[in-house]
Amino acid sequence: MRLSDKYNRANLFTSLIVLIITGIVYYVVIHFILTERLDRDLAVEENEIRQYTNTYKKLPLPASYIDQQISFKVFNGDTTNIREFTYTTYLNPKDNEVEPGRMLITTVQLNGKVFLATITKSRVESEDLVRIILLITLGVTMILLIALIFVNRFLLNRLWQPFFTILNRMKGFEVAKMENIQEVPTPIDEFNELNKSVNEMAAKVKQDYKELKSFTDNASHEMMTPLAVINSKLDSLLQTGSFSQPQGALLEDIYHATGRLSRLHQSLLLLAKIENHLIADVQHFDLKELIEAKIRQFQELFERIDLHLESTLENCSVEMSRYLADILLNNLIGNAIRHNHHSGQIKIKLSKDQLIISNTGKNKQIQQNLFDRFSKSAESEGMGLGLAISKQICQLYGFEIIYEYIGEEHFFTVQFNSKD
Amino acid sequence: MKILIIEDEQGLLESILAYFTGEGNICEYATDFIQASEKIALYNYDCILLDLGLPGGEGLVLLDKIKKMKKRDGVLIISARHSLDDRLAGLDLGADDYLVKPFHLSELKARVSAIVRRKNFEGDNVIVFNEIRVDVSAMNVYVKEKQVFLTKKEFDLLVYFLSNKHKVVTKNAMAEHLWGDEMDLSDDFDFIYTHVKNLKKKLTEAGGQDYLRSVYGIGYKFGDL
Repeated sequence: MRLSDKYNRANLFTSLIVLIITGIVYYVVIHFILTERLDRDLAVEENEIRQYTNTYKKLPLPASYIDQQISFKVFNGDTTNIREFTYTTYLNPKDNEVEPGRMLITTVQLNGKVFLATITKSRVESEDLVRIILLITLGVTMILLIALIFVNRFLLNRLWQPFFTILNRMKGFEVAKMENIQEVPTPIDEFNELNKSVNEMAAKVKQDYKELKSFTDNASHEMMTPLAVINSKLDSLLQTGSFSQPQGALLEDIYHATGRLSRLHQSLLLLAKIENHLIADVQHFDLKELIEAKIRQFQELFERIDLHLESTLENCSVEMSRYLADILLNNLIGNAIRHNHHSGQIKIKLSKDQLIISNTGKNKQIQQNLFDRFSKSAESEGMGLGLAISKQICQLYGFEIIYEYIGEEHFFTVQFNSKD
Repeated sequence: MKILIIEDEQGLLESILAYFTGEGNICEYATDFIQASEKIALYNYDCILLDLGLPGGEGLVLLDKIKKMKKRDGVLIISARHSLDDRLAGLDLGADDYLVKPFHLSELKARVSAIVRRKNFEGDNVIVFNEIRVDVSAMNVYVKEKQVFLTKKEFDLLVYFLSNKHKVVTKNAMAEHLWGDEMDLSDDFDFIYTHVKNLKKKLTEAGGQDYLRSVYGIGYKFGDL
C-alpha cells in the first residue's frame, strides 16, 4: 500500500468520524436550544393566561392562532405537580397538516375551580432550522472531504516528488561506476536530510568498495609472489640432480597443482576485470581470421584424440577486445575438445551474426547452471570458470550465448546482434 | 651475458640467480629501488630483469631512468600484475618484454636470451651449439652446415631448448611456451611428445648427436651427454 493511500485513508476516516460527531453534537445542541426557546414561549403564554384570568376573572377564549393552540378543561384531581412540557403533534389548521409540536400542560385557578390548560406550539420552524443547519453542516463536510482528497492527491504527490526522485537515483546507483547520487533541490528539511544521508551512505559504500577492491588487488598480487617462488623453486629443484621415477611423479603433481592455482587465480582476476569493465581495448576485426589462427593453434589437440573438424567460416566483423575474443574462443573450442570422445567431431560455423560451435561429447547430462562459476561435470579437468568467463565476455558486448543439446551434440551459439 | 636482477622477493631472486649463473653468465642483483638505481647508473648490462613493485619506488620509474640514460640494456619486466595497462605502460616505456608471475625459469631464460641475442647481434641472430647452427631471424637450422627443415613448433622448441641448455625443461613450460598460457587445457601434455620425437629424429637423421633426453617423465633436457 502506498504511503499516500494509507495516509489518505486514515485522514479521511478521521475527518469523517469527527465531522459526524460534530454534526450530532450540533444537532443535539441546536435542538436543545430551540426547544428551550419554545418552552420559554410556552411559559410566557402560560403567564399571560394566568394574568388574564386574574385580571378578568374568566378564562381567555380557547384561541386558535396560526402557530399556537390553547384549550381548557375542568380538572378534578390532584393538581400538585401538573406542569409538564411534552412533544406532540400539531394540526396546522391553515394547511390542514400534521406538524410536530411542543405542548405545555399546566393548571389555572379560577373561582376556586381548577382548569387544565394545554398550550401547543408548532415546532415546524425550529425543525426547519435544525434541518438547514444539518444540511449546511453536511455540505461543508462533503466539501471538506473532497478538498482533502484533492489536496492529498495533488499536493502530497507534489510534496513527495523529491523523495521519488531520490529513490530513482538510488535505484540507478552502481557502486562500480563510482558516480555520486545527485542532490535533488528541495525546500523540505526532511528530504534534504534524506538527500544528505543517501549521499553519505553512497560515499561510504564507494569507499568500502574501493578498499575491498584494492584489498583484493593487493591480495592477489601478494598471492602471486609466493606462487612464483614455489614455481621457481620447483624449477630449481628439478635441476639439482637425479630423482627416482616416483619422486619425478610427485614433482609432476606439484607442478600441476601450482599450474592450476595460478591459472585459477588469473581466471578470477579476469572475471573481476570484465565485470568492472576494466578491459577497454575495443577494436574492429574479422573473427574469421582469429578462428583460423585458433584452429591452427589447436591442431595438435584435434589430432591427439582423432577429432574430425568441420569448419565453415564466413567473414564476420566484430567490435570487441581482441584479447577477450581470444579467451572466448579458447574456452569454447577448448571445451569442445576437452569434453569430446575419441574420434568425435567438432563443427565450427561462423556467419555474419552468429558463431556456432558444436561437438560430440562424453557427457550427455546437461547441467542447468552450466554458465555458473565453478560448475563443472565430475570428470572435467577444467576449473569450471571457462564458461562463466565466456558468458561475462558475451554480456560485456551485448552478445548472447546459448547452450543446447540436440541430437547427441552439444551446441554453443554466440549471437552477436542479440540486441537488434 | 651480464644480467642484473632487480627483485625484492628473496626466494625468487635466489632461484633466478641459481638458474642463470654458469655458462659464462655474470649475474648481479638489487633488492630495492636505491640499490637498483646505483647499479644501473654505474654499470652496463646485457639484460635487466625488473620487478615492478619494489621497496622504495616503482619499477616503471627505474625503466624510465634507464631509457633517459640512453642505455642499450635490454629490459624484461617481471611482475605479478596481470593487467593489460601495466603491460602496455611497460612496453611503451621501452621494455623489451613483459613476463607475468608466476613463470617458469626456462621461459624467463628463453626470453632473456632472445632479448640479448636481438641486442647484441642485431641482424645476425644466430645460436651455435656444437654441430647445430640456428639462424633465428631467418628461421633456418643447419646441422653440420646441412639445412634441416623443421616445422614452426619444432623450430620454436629447438630455440627454447638451446636457451635452456643442460637444464630440465618441464612439459608444462614447453606447452605454455608453444601454445600460450591462456589455453587452459588438460594437464596432460603428452601431445608435446610428438613434437619432441620429430625434432629429435630430424636432428639425428641430419647427422647430429642425440642431445635430447626425457627426465622422470616431467620434462626434457637438452645438452651434452
